[in-house]
Amino acid sequence: MTATEPKPAVQGSEAQGTRTLTLIQAVTEALREELARDERVVVFGQDVGARGGVFLATAGLQAEFGERRVFDTPLSEASIVGAAVGMAVRGLRPVAEVQFADYMGPGFDQIVSQAAKIRYRSGGQFTAPLVIRTPSGGGVKGGHHHSQSPEAYYAHTPGLKVVMPSTPYDAKGLLKAAIRGHDPVIYFEPKRLYRAAKGEVPAHDYTVELGRGAVRREGRDLTLIGYGGVMPDVEKAAAALSKEGVEAEVIDLRSLVPWDRDLVLTSVEKTGRAVLVSEAPRTANFMGEVAYVIQEELFDALLAPVSQVAGFDTPYPYVQDKVYLPGANRIAAACVKVLNY
Amino acid sequence: MIQPFTPDPLSWVADDGQPIRELPARFTPEVLRGLHRDMVRAREFDRKLVTLLRQGRTTFYAQSRGMEATQVGLARSIRVGHDWVWPYYRDHALGLTMGVPLLDLVSQCLGTNSDPCRGRQMPHHFGAGRQNFVSISSSIASQVPPAAGNAMAQKYLGVDEITVCTFGDGATSEGDWHAGVNMAAVNGAPCLFVCENNQWAISTPLRGQMASETVHVKARAYGMPGYLVDGNDIVAVMEVLAHVVEELRRGSGPALVECLTYRVGSHSNADADAEKNYRTREEVALWTARDPITRVEGLLEHLGHPVSAEERAGLIAATHREVDEAVGQAEASGQPDWRIMFEDVYADLPVHLREQAAFLRAEQTGGRA
Ligand SMILES: Cc1ncc(C[n+]2csc(CCOP(=O)(O)OP(=O)(O)O)c2C)c(N)n1
Repeated sequence: MTATEPKPAVQGSEAQGTRTLTLIQAVTEALREELARDERVVVFGQDVGARGGVFLATAGLQAEFGERRVFDTPLSEASIVGAAVGMAVRGLRPVAEVQFADYMGPGFDQIVSQAAKIRYRSGGQFTAPLVIRTPSGGGVKGGHHHSQSPEAYYAHTPGLKVVMPSTPYDAKGLLKAAIRGHDPVIYFEPKRLYRAAKGEVPAHDYTVELGRGAVRREGRDLTLIGYGGVMPDVEKAAAALSKEGVEAEVIDLRSLVPWDRDLVLTSVEKTGRAVLVSEAPRTANFMGEVAYVIQEELFDALLAPVSQVAGFDTPYPYVQDKVYLPGANRIAAACVKVLNY
Repeated sequence: MIQPFTPDPLSWVADDGQPIRELPARFTPEVLRGLHRDMVRAREFDRKLVTLLRQGRTTFYAQSRGMEATQVGLARSIRVGHDWVWPYYRDHALGLTMGVPLLDLVSQCLGTNSDPCRGRQMPHHFGAGRQNFVSISSSIASQVPPAAGNAMAQKYLGVDEITVCTFGDGATSEGDWHAGVNMAAVNGAPCLFVCENNQWAISTPLRGQMASETVHVKARAYGMPGYLVDGNDIVAVMEVLAHVVEELRRGSGPALVECLTYRVGSHSNADADAEKNYRTREEVALWTARDPITRVEGLLEHLGHPVSAEERAGLIAATHREVDEAVGQAEASGQPDWRIMFEDVYADLPVHLREQAAFLRAEQTGGRA
């Protein structure tokens, strides 16, 4: 016996219209729809069942789908991630929650040795299509064990896909695409946007393709690139610059692996300037890769050095939460410097 | 009659082949001969691979001489292609007996085009889709949590399959081992954990690995039965596993079986001088005398169906021929080229890998293709 094949996704014609949702509501909705669509989908992690997860991303799902589909696990990231690998190999579509990205450490070997490698090492005989969802980033007074941005570790591991939405629309569409895809996906959720980010989300089924960025604002003077939790500040900085007559083009990467090089290069070729924003520590930050590709491909088109605004190379501080993060002012200042080069 | 948590290993046959308890009826001389054949084949494969290693035709090999009863007994206790196995790197006797083609195994060790895993891993880390024999990972104990998940999926799907997860004694010190065993237990998943306790983890003896008397007692703490078996006695291995596998299929939840055996050879080729460096000749001699193959030969003799010297020599020669042929076939298939490096990283080739592959193609062809 096998689990029944997934039902065809509900198409736009059946349920029209959009609603305003928060980012976390969009996550919940994606999970609910995928659980309903495909019996192979199971959702689990620490406290995700009756409680609905510490941030309530899975609230109500166990009541709706039962303990077989949505369940709590022991407090062990190695076994949450590792079990997800085994389930995926045996034919399920596991969506595991790691309570905080900071706690992926105990599951690290399972992610990099098992999830990321099994397709490759077996010559495609065994595959692990799984999703690991985890809240990441700072801005919630969480101190260094509830605020880190470890995406670069995973982006550095061939075999994994890495995404981080910043809008409710993307949160839902990317999560659905991740669940339906055939590769292991690390899905980072910027926790400070869980309730802060609100937006229109279609009621009908849709996905957002992994690997495609989005232009949030068009401009000609420079390109501002970010992803995840920094995006509202990036847009705020762009709005402030606009008042001064500077039009920044704003790109949300959405996916880090693979990332949308065409979108970035087309934009930077047009503007000649790039400012890259992320809140992860600066050294070996994922944006270093973006900067590298820009300079390699567009050296002649650049009017100024590519600039990075990042977190500091310190453990994430508790008291200085807000100073640590690259806010709109710091982003705008970097833009001004690049413009005046 | 088979009780968990016994202080002494469960045994059926003494070192010299005399039965200590009544021999179960299913162990007819034919069956015993078949098991003997499987064990000899595994041992000779081992011997030939060590030779290939010495000839520099492969670069790594982990022997399992002395552990054949445990691995062959396990292979013969499950439903191949129906049950799932998450093995570790010393499990070629298990794989061979489960029907992984010898050519595939040799090819994997040589990293040739005929390797189903396509030369992606170091030698002796094979996997076989048809046998549900999941490809081996070097990272000690990292197969344990996925095996738990595999068994959880089987329970979820309502199938009567079980999952087998094997590991050495050293692996039981890793966090992943405890995490995975606990995960299976909490979920009542049909996972059979088999410790191939060969008493050494490279140069670290059991007593440097753990302060508990045995591995199997740890099962109690996780809420599952634990069994201690004489891992050099194939009758004992198969009797205990028959009991445990039946329980698992009936929905009992996981179990831990510790097979007490011995790694007669070195850990790997990286550790050629085990005797000189960390083991005594006396210890190795003691365990060589407890050999699982001669034990079955003793039993067959006791039953009045001895394996003749010619028969044994015939079996050995046949395996050597089989390996030689496989080596010839594997080597003739050639080495995989650079192209396969980029395949199977993801389901589809993303653009950055497409570019990197194009770069390497240009480099490899001098810009010609
Ligand atoms: C996580 C990890 N740490 C260290 C090693 C190096 N290593 C390879 S084999 C081995 C010993 C394992 O011993 P055991 O589990 O008893 O199996 P055996 O080789 O004795 O069959 C070690 C330490 C490894 N492969 N993985």
